[in-house]
Amino acid sequence: MTDMTSDTPHVHGTLLQADARTRKRNAAETRFKFYGILAIAVGLLMLVILLFNIVSRGTGAFTQTFVTLDVALVEDKLDKSGNRNIEEMKKVSTFGYAPLLKAAMTDMVEKTGMEGQISAADMAGILSKGAPAQLRDYVLANPDKVGQQVSFNFLASSRVDGYMKGRVSRESIANDKSISAEQLDFVDKLIEQGILKKKFNLSFITGADASDARPEAAGMGVAMLGSFFMMLVVLVLALPIGVAASIYLEEFAPKNWITDIIEVNISNLAAVPSIVFGILGLAVFINYMHLPTSAPLVGGLVLTLMTLPTIIISTRASLKAVPPSIRDAALGVGASKMQSVFHHVLPLAAPGILTGTIIGLAQALGETAPLLLIGMVGFIASNPPDGIASGLLAPNSAMPAQIYEWAKRADPAFYERAWGGIIILLVFLLAMNTIAVILRRRFERRW
Amino acid sequence: MKDLMAERTVDTQKLKISARNVQVYYGDTHAIKDVNVDIEDKTVTAFIGPSGCGKSTFLRCINRMNDTIDVCRVQGDIMIDGEDIYDKRVDPVQLRAKVGMVFQKPNPFPKSIYDNVAYGPRIHGLAKNKADLDDIVERALRRGAIWNEVKDRLDAPGTGLSGGQQQRLCIARAVATEPEVLLMDEPCSALDPIATAQVEELIDELRQNYSVVIVTHSMQQAARVSQKTAFFHLGNLVEYGETGTIFTNPTDPRTESYITGRIG
Ligand SMILES: Nc1ncnc2c1ncn2[C@@H]1O[C@H](COP(=O)(O)OP(=O)(O)OP(=O)(O)O)[C@@H](O)[C@H]1O
Ligand SMILES: [Mg+2]
Repeated sequence: MTDMTSDTPHVHGTLLQADARTRKRNAAETRFKFYGILAIAVGLLMLVILLFNIVSRGTGAFTQTFVTLDVALVEDKLDKSGNRNIEEMKKVSTFGYAPLLKAAMTDMVEKTGMEGQISAADMAGILSKGAPAQLRDYVLANPDKVGQQVSFNFLASSRVDGYMKGRVSRESIANDKSISAEQLDFVDKLIEQGILKKKFNLSFITGADASDARPEAAGMGVAMLGSFFMMLVVLVLALPIGVAASIYLEEFAPKNWITDIIEVNISNLAAVPSIVFGILGLAVFINYMHLPTSAPLVGGLVLTLMTLPTIIISTRASLKAVPPSIRDAALGVGASKMQSVFHHVLPLAAPGILTGTIIGLAQALGETAPLLLIGMVGFIASNPPDGIASGLLAPNSAMPAQIYEWAKRADPAFYERAWGGIIILLVFLLAMNTIAVILRRRFERRW
Repeated sequence: MKDLMAERTVDTQKLKISARNVQVYYGDTHAIKDVNVDIEDKTVTAFIGPSGCGKSTFLRCINRMNDTIDVCRVQGDIMIDGEDIYDKRVDPVQLRAKVGMVFQKPNPFPKSIYDNVAYGPRIHGLAKNKADLDDIVERALRRGAIWNEVKDRLDAPGTGLSGGQQQRLCIARAVATEPEVLLMDEPCSALDPIATAQVEELIDELRQNYSVVIVTHSMQQAARVSQKTAFFHLGNLVEYGETGTIFTNPTDPRTESYITGRIG
């Protein structure tokens, strides 16, 4: 052992200078890091462009142009008998209210010294076509105000609103029959007088959809309720079914070819395009079971089918992630299989299950294609549901369906609302994800 | 080693567990081959043998933990107090309350120290009220030789303890359900010498009340804590007898070569 082996030992060079191999290796690493940063930058850029577009196009929908008018609620016209009987007052249709508006407009023109500058018809065209209905609703709700002078904020017509937001200009109205240059002159005066103003419009968030003629009045509120009831159905059905199925498959089922087939099928189901679930829903829930079309219940059932695989897969993954030693520990002190699952495994898997469920719900919330087939698109949701039953069964729209519907309509005023709708939808998705993160944190703190 | 053993008194006890012609298969693997063994009450019995020889497998037969492995089949009879634990009428859950187990890797529940120990008594309905349960928990933690270290932080997570403390917590958890047999699968393999010494001391105390079966890779440990030793090799029970005899005067050449470090 005294003499060394015959072949000479490898001699390393100086450590103070990197050799060629090392330099090459380091260069490769630097290049890779650069590519990674580049990839992230591209992704971020896309996101920023997307958000910028959405925000810049959509925020306009949250403000609306209003005209402030003092209207005399003439008793003669609204309540001839004078006894404030609501049933009788209801007989006066919106046509009966139009003259009051006309009088108020004329009055306003006189007061501001603009007589003769605008015709009566042009004057009425400034206001939304829904103005008489707004007046009527107010009177029927406050019959004691009849005979008095009340100040109202009426929606301006969508063209006037577009003029305020820069969407409509004197050049663009050349071929537009809905608005004239004279009206725009008049509008300019009204702006000067402070009678016509752009304000935050809550009813875009809370209100109902409106017909083609009144884009200024259209809101997301009812569609939001439609989405809410659908999500309720999805949560109530998909969560327990999904979790029960996963627990059974993961913890109790024997591992054999039957469970293998089930497993493969669940994974496949997750990849099935959502429109397939839509047509399935149409065939089974509507044509066969005769559930009402356009109902959030049916939408919810279809989305449940779609969400189940997502929930099952994420639940099984989080059950798998619980270390087997915990199960052994529970069984070792004499817990039954079910006790070990429900006392120990499930609480540990809960954050994962929760996250999976919320992600599934968020997916379902943004899903449009299946709703197309069960008639939740194209329906003008103008009446908010008045309870859980009507919320589930009465025809309704849903947020993405509403957005699609608006984007489809010709009037650019609706286009703006579609972008606004997207902002609302994104806020909901963001809120759901935040809730997922918060719940997860809370659960995790209990280790 | 001889002196160590000489001090140990081995009192002949009544039979607690007796295994007859036990065969265990994992699918096609024949993991335990025709094992016959009688384990006495209030005795520490050590299972030794090279890795993969089936010590854990046989240990897990005694509380039917092997039931949880799909591919595992057990044949033969294992009697505890004269009752066949593989009888159709026996519920393994009830069996496991009587035969507690401590695993190789400490595996406390991710709950508080208190809840770790209280869990078994709770599900078996051993406590009539809260005070009763508090008592049981304290007694178990004292027996687990960990009471002094944790008595001020029973609400702290059991997973936040050191490895040795966790293992003693697991022992406390196992004794809290008042088992009659305690199975320990390499309970000290993750522990440092000090924690090991504590656990060994504990095992010696547990002998007063339980029949303890311990799997170990450490000859010294087997010699220190056990009165009976069983040597397994390739699924066979090669030799079983008084620990002193096995270590000083083994009859089978395989036992001798294992103990002297020639096979393993
Ligand atoms: N879950 C299992 N599935 C299939 N074969 C298994 C399983 N568990 C153990 N075996 C096999 O059974 C034999 C005995 O394993 P066992 O775990 O009982 O050995 P051991 O003596 O405890 O070894 P160690 O000292 O390394 O823990 C081994 O050949 C092993 O490969
Ligand atoms: Mg083992």
